[in-house]
Amino acid sequence: MEEYPEELRTPPVTLASLVGCPELHPLISTHLLSEQPPINTLALPDFSKISLFNKKVDPDSTATSPSPSLGILKRDWLLKHRTKLPSVLAVLFPAHHLAADPAYWLQLCSHLDFIKTVVRGRNIKFVIVVVIQTNADEISEDRMIALRKRAEVDAKHVVVLNPNDTSELKQTLHRHAHCGLHSLFFSALFKGTCFEFLTVVSWSRLASSISELAVAYYREEGRRIKQRIEKKNISSVELIVRYCFKVAVYAEFRSDWTEALKFYEEAYHTLREIVGVTTRLPAVQRLVEIKSISEQLHFKISTLLLHSGKVTEAVTWFRQHKNAYKRLVGAPEGIFLHWEWMSRQFLVFGELLETSSKIIQGISPIIQATSSKPLTEWEYYSAYYYQLAAHYLSEKRSALELTISMSETSNEIDNVADSVVPSVYVGQFTRLLEQGDKVDMLPLTDEEYIRYAVSEGKRFQDSLEIIVLLKKAYESFNSMKIQRVSSFCGFQMAREYFAEGDISNAKQIFDSIASLYRKEGWVTLLWNVLGYLRECSRKNGTIKDFVEYSLEMAALPISADTGVQRDSGPAGPANLRQREIVHNEVFELVGGASGLETNEHPSNLNITGDESLQLEVDLVSPLRLAMLASVAFHEQTIKPGTSTLITVSLLSHLPLTVEIDQLEIQFNQSKCNFFIANAKKTQSSNGIQQHRTETAPSLSLESKKWLRLTHDIQSDQSGKLECLSVIAKIGSHLTICCRADSPASLDSVPLWTLDGCVQTVPIKDPILVLSGQKSTQVEEPDPQVDLHLGASGPALVGEIFLVPVTLVSKGHDVYSGELKINLVDVKGGGLFSPRDSEPYATDSHHVQLLGISGPEGEDDSQLYSDKIKKIQQSFGLISVPILKNGDSWSCKLEIKWHRPKPIMLYVSLGYTPYCNELNAQSVHVHKHLQIEGQTAIVLNHYYLMPFRRDPLLLSKNKQASEFGQSESLPLNQKNVLIVSAKNCTELPLRLKSVSIEVEDDAEKTCSIQHGSEELLNPCLIVPGEEFKKIFLVSSNMNISKLKLGTVCLRWRRDLGVEEQSASTSTLSWVVTKQKLPDVNVELPPLIVSFECPPYAIVGDPFTYYIRISNQTQLLQEVKYSLADAQSFVLSGYHDDTVHVLPKSEHILSYKLVPLVSGMQQLPKFSMTSVRYSAAYQPSNSSNSVFVFPSKPHFKAAVSTNNRVESVANE
Amino acid sequence: MIVCVAVVGHQNNPLYIQSFTEADDALKLHHIVHCSLDVVDERVNNPKKSGPMLNETFLGLLYPIENYKVYGYLTNTKVKFILVTTDLDVKDADVRNFFRRFHAAYVDAVSNPFHVPGKKITSRTFAERVSTIVKSFGFSSAG
Repeated sequence: MEEYPEELRTPPVTLASLVGCPELHPLISTHLLSEQPPINTLALPDFSKISLFNKKVDPDSTATSPSPSLGILKRDWLLKHRTKLPSVLAVLFPAHHLAADPAYWLQLCSHLDFIKTVVRGRNIKFVIVVVIQTNADEISEDRMIALRKRAEVDAKHVVVLNPNDTSELKQTLHRHAHCGLHSLFFSALFKGTCFEFLTVVSWSRLASSISELAVAYYREEGRRIKQRIEKKNISSVELIVRYCFKVAVYAEFRSDWTEALKFYEEAYHTLREIVGVTTRLPAVQRLVEIKSISEQLHFKISTLLLHSGKVTEAVTWFRQHKNAYKRLVGAPEGIFLHWEWMSRQFLVFGELLETSSKIIQGISPIIQATSSKPLTEWEYYSAYYYQLAAHYLSEKRSALELTISMSETSNEIDNVADSVVPSVYVGQFTRLLEQGDKVDMLPLTDEEYIRYAVSEGKRFQDSLEIIVLLKKAYESFNSMKIQRVSSFCGFQMAREYFAEGDISNAKQIFDSIASLYRKEGWVTLLWNVLGYLRECSRKNGTIKDFVEYSLEMAALPISADTGVQRDSGPAGPANLRQREIVHNEVFELVGGASGLETNEHPSNLNITGDESLQLEVDLVSPLRLAMLASVAFHEQTIKPGTSTLITVSLLSHLPLTVEIDQLEIQFNQSKCNFFIANAKKTQSSNGIQQHRTETAPSLSLESKKWLRLTHDIQSDQSGKLECLSVIAKIGSHLTICCRADSPASLDSVPLWTLDGCVQTVPIKDPILVLSGQKSTQVEEPDPQVDLHLGASGPALVGEIFLVPVTLVSKGHDVYSGELKINLVDVKGGGLFSPRDSEPYATDSHHVQLLGISGPEGEDDSQLYSDKIKKIQQSFGLISVPILKNGDSWSCKLEIKWHRPKPIMLYVSLGYTPYCNELNAQSVHVHKHLQIEGQTAIVLNHYYLMPFRRDPLLLSKNKQASEFGQSESLPLNQKNVLIVSAKNCTELPLRLKSVSIEVEDDAEKTCSIQHGSEELLNPCLIVPGEEFKKIFLVSSNMNISKLKLGTVCLRWRRDLGVEEQSASTSTLSWVVTKQKLPDVNVELPPLIVSFECPPYAIVGDPFTYYIRISNQTQLLQEVKYSLADAQSFVLSGYHDDTVHVLPKSEHILSYKLVPLVSGMQQLPKFSMTSVRYSAAYQPSNSSNSVFVFPSKPHFKAAVSTNNRVESVANE
Repeated sequence: MIVCVAVVGHQNNPLYIQSFTEADDALKLHHIVHCSLDVVDERVNNPKKSGPMLNETFLGLLYPIENYKVYGYLTNTKVKFILVTTDLDVKDADVRNFFRRFHAAYVDAVSNPFHVPGKKITSRTFAERVSTIVKSFGFSSAG
């Protein structure tokens, strides 16, 4: 696009001319240029220069002259109208020329006459500008009218301008701001009576009147030429094209884009008709002229279409344009001109599309499927056009080369070209003939023209241009993620680089596109690219690359002839034979033969001396085609020291058999590395190898056949044994290091899987093919140490439970042994370690590993002083001393349960059987044991009142409604507290004491008798048995929450037969504590106590007293009743209401005669306190008496002071 | 005249590619077929642009390049057929007809129990059938 002249590339701009008052010209020019649309100005220094606009005698511009035109478009016509021929002439006169001296007036009139004659010839409009310096300048009305008449212009085309009046100008031209502006303006208003019709025009008025006149001028000119077209008596078609072009340009001048487009298209179509009709010029030049004009017209049309956003129309238009001229190749010797022209069309349209797509954002090309020839989305990409421009340019290059080679044979000196210049017509060339001062333009013959064009063509470096174009396309496609097309562009670009000798650029691009072809398996394309890459590395002298590319090429799956014969670059035709050639070439090179010097290419590739070349073949390398290693251990786990088999399989897709000199198999345990030597080759026993060397009868790797080698292998070191790589040494210089693959995970080589070849397997064993692994697990040696956990029975909550751990060495010495202990919740919870998650945080102390006590008889301090011992809540680590074979060692784990919970105890011993630290191969023994945790003793308690004495506790009556009420005790009464301890285990227990411990800080609110007395001998409680102890509790404080304290129980397991020998001092007692609930102490208003003899005799009457004692200061009314009993005859009131005086008691006495012997229920007493409306019934248990049939005889009544005794069940 | 036909598999790998030109520009045709896969991808990934062609196997003109026109066809199993022709005026109906017959030939070829899906089509019968179809291309409209 840049090669077009500027006037063609940009839309035309109106041109106006200024004359007179030259000092004002810059100011006016700047102002007019800033107008919208802008106006260019042509400033003439004085009036004499107006003669420039004089019409030349131009024979062919007159429509009437029938002479055939020599060309279609004049080269400078557009430029003339844009820069030389104004549409409007603005004549500036200072105001005082009108007003003052008549001499000035005369001069003015003569100027005007001259202007009129010049301007009329050209139809140029003119406007008179009278310049006043201040608004105070007065111009008489007469003079103005005279001026107008003289100039023969409309009143509106005579404008008075005050250049100092910047009131509007200052918006655009800041530097002309003046002070005192407003005062001037207002004075003009006052004095304005004489300017009624001559208002002082502002700058914008001037501009608008100029542009108005300009539009009128261009319209008239356009109409004038249009009339010529419509007359249809034009002699030649060329003139129609020219007139249409002119009309379109005039339309463009006045921004009438629709008309411009219409006439450009008209011109274009008319031009198309000329092709093959006109015989004005020699054939080649004729075509060149037509093409250059159609190019200009097409450019204008495309620009107009794209600027108005009609992208689809523009693309369609381009396609038509391209198709119309594609076949107009012309004479054979001038073909290159055609291709150059085509290339330029694509390039220019691509550039137009690119710039317009920047302006018009987001055109979404919509494919019109309805139209007969739908556009493809590709045709909206500028990159597409660049790509094709490059293509045609390369066509041009080859055509040009052909033409040059043909012309050189004729051996002519192209001196003609020196004097050939472009003629005045677009697309024409003439020869400049200088004869003295006279310069003649002579027409050219076609031969001369071609010679000129060839010499011009030689000056350009087409390949650089092609690279630029392809690069644009490449980058553009790349950015759109259209990778295949961009790869193709890249390929072409790299080929150009290669031809230019820019190897590094070429190689880089070739490499990037090779990976795409590899991925998608386009073998022929890959073959071609690799051929270039191989040549690149040959030229660079990088032997490693050369070998790699050669091997890959040789191993490509090309079997039959793919039909790619010609134009396949340095790779040659893609077929099996060529693969073999490549194969042989590379192996001759690395085989240390005479290098490639023997070839026709003198090469800088050679390997000398001890240089070696190592190729790495990893899992993604393309060289997996050339060599692939699969390694399988026959067993998944092996014992240390025992041997297993390993199969190494190698596969090559190279076309010919490769003889391997030596294979090295490498493992992660370098001790296991071994070599396989080829028996056929004389093995140079160079390195004194500490690794073993196997010998194989043959190591020839045939094409597409697995080479399988099976050897045994053993490892002494436990852990993973993995085969890392297989290194094949071929010849004296080349080593190929293949990363080992497991057969199970072996992906076939990608390119070959797509090919139709038969799949083979690396190992014959069908199981190993599916499951074979390149690594095996070497187990650790069997432990020869017994680990015994000696716990028995369940553990009891609270006690320190001892788990004896015994180690007995049976064949191994134990060095640096470590015992790890873990406690795990059986129910699937985690370890009871602090780092466990939150829900277990509260649980973390339910079971606790307290410590580890050393073997009995050993001093603890000695044991732990230098050994590791780490104890956490659920984890322990202890080091084990060195044990010789046959020794044993034991320790005890101390575990305490806080809650009943089953626990899994894991103990693991890790040790090394050898003293040598370096060979730190540890052996592990694991043991585990589940231990139940049980609650040993369940404590219960309850309160009793003294015998046959019942207080009326008001709170007790409320208990029916309120649950959870604590127990109530009467105030100042001796209450009995019975604490029972039940053995819930299956073991006998010994009980040392039951006591109630009162918290120290609690104030003495109650007295507890027998609180902390110990039993004389530890008492044995068999499973299920209950132990009871009685305490007396009394309180004289009326408080609702009486803290009684904590029941404290000391117990231990019964040791059975050892019980006697065990000294009490060494045994630790387990303390179980349980807090007694708070009780409510209250004053009972009434206390009922019964009195009757301890026993009765049938028929013997006795007195039954019922005392109702009033504890309050109030008179109590009590209703009572005594029910009949079958066993007794009763005398007294059955029911009555009595009043009990404050702090006194009322005694009811009944005479009872027992009728029946045995345990008898006394008559049931019930009473109701009227004041508290509380009914009361004494308990049944205390309400019975034993009736003897006759009077018994007692020896003695036993009564001891010691009240502490066990009481049997009720 | 048809200059090249190709069958392209799921990974955009060539399954069958055959050129029918006297001139040795097979490599160039391979490039053109390979590039056309980009257009197929774009058509398939942006179905909204192609609008009414949704669910149709025939993809139409993929793109014009140099002297060639490239047409595409996508089977239900996402195997692509590419046709490169030098004819300037090709009727869509002809191309459709060609692809229909080509598809039938392909289905027969891959139905061979000895053919492994995803591998190159090496069947000689298929090649012969294809060349017959290629030769008869365009005659249906002429006749």
